[in-house]
Amino acid sequence: MNFQVRRSSETIEVLLSGRLEFTDHDSLPDIVELLNGERTRRFVLDMDGLTFIDSAGIGMLLILQDEAEQRNIKLVLRKLQGDVLRSIDLARIGEVVTIER
Amino acid sequence: MDGSPASSASPSPGPAGAVRPFSVVRDRVPADIAARVAARFGPSGGVGDAVDGRAAAAVLLAQADRDILRGAFGLNRFLTVELTEREEGTGTIEADWLGAPPVERGFYLSLTTGTAYGLQCAVLVCDELTRRGVLTPERRGNIELCLHEAIANAIVHGNLGIPSATKEQPEGYRLFSRLLRERLGDGAVRQRRIDIFARWTADSLSIAVVDQGNGFDAAALPQDTDSGAHSGRGFVFMRALARRIHVTDGGRCTLLQFDL
Repeated sequence: MNFQVRRSSETIEVLLSGRLEFTDHDSLPDIVELLNGERTRRFVLDMDGLTFIDSAGIGMLLILQDEAEQRNIKLVLRKLQGDVLRSIDLARIGEVVTIER
Repeated sequence: MDGSPASSASPSPGPAGAVRPFSVVRDRVPADIAARVAARFGPSGGVGDAVDGRAAAAVLLAQADRDILRGAFGLNRFLTVELTEREEGTGTIEADWLGAPPVERGFYLSLTTGTAYGLQCAVLVCDELTRRGVLTPERRGNIELCLHEAIANAIVHGNLGIPSATKEQPEGYRLFSRLLRERLGDGAVRQRRIDIFARWTADSLSIAVVDQGNGFDAAALPQDTDSGAHSGRGFVFMRALARRIHVTDGGRCTLLQFDL
């Protein structure tokens, strides 16, 4: 998995690409660190470029949700499609994470 | 029993750990290995299908990469086995890898954990199943996800011995990453095997994923997972998408069955 970051006044947008899976845990602290911006109120994970996510990747999204919540930041998943949407739906994480359809 | 290479012209092994093309073709599977596989997968798992008890093996050498693996698959052998760094490329077949007699439609892949990690094995196996005309694009996505989850479990929780609950504690993801690095840096752990055995008929596909870890109590697996939990969804995915999932060998073998 690779990611790029866009920043605006109160929003950080992270554009994920490739496959998000169990071998990507080393990238997670770098993404968590992005939550530490003082003015950040909204954290968007753009998944348009993501082709696959496994159960470990789902777990990473939920870790990010917990970390965002602790900082009073709203986490949003955006542009889910194909196999990624299937995994997200199967995991039913829409009950705890905001998903923009 | 004959574990000698088929050709005396096979190149001698290079330095331990070097990436080399598969170079040894063996023409016979030892009876004890065939018996172990038959015991694991049942009599229909192969012995009765064997042709004179012989099976050609495409043998990879240590640290195979994706291109080498694809090339080995291209030989259309039943067995594709990665030798460990400690094995001689032209010596007798060691007992630490599983072989299997040929079945009419199937293949058996055995890789070390160090190689399997990061190789996207499920993609490679599904590519091969597609090449052999088993998978259609419509079927592939769900089967690949299930296989990926079984392989990830076998690597992380099986051979690397990292408990799923690690990620549930505060900052558990940092501990999880550290444990991954430590275990993958342990030579003995990296040599543990991941075996993938695929067999199919006209209307069904079975894939077994076998590890050499400590196993687990499959009966203790929850049927569902809390929607906010950081782990535990692999089996939820497999149960939802496979026709049947069966865990044997004390948690070391996950057998997935699909309709085609």
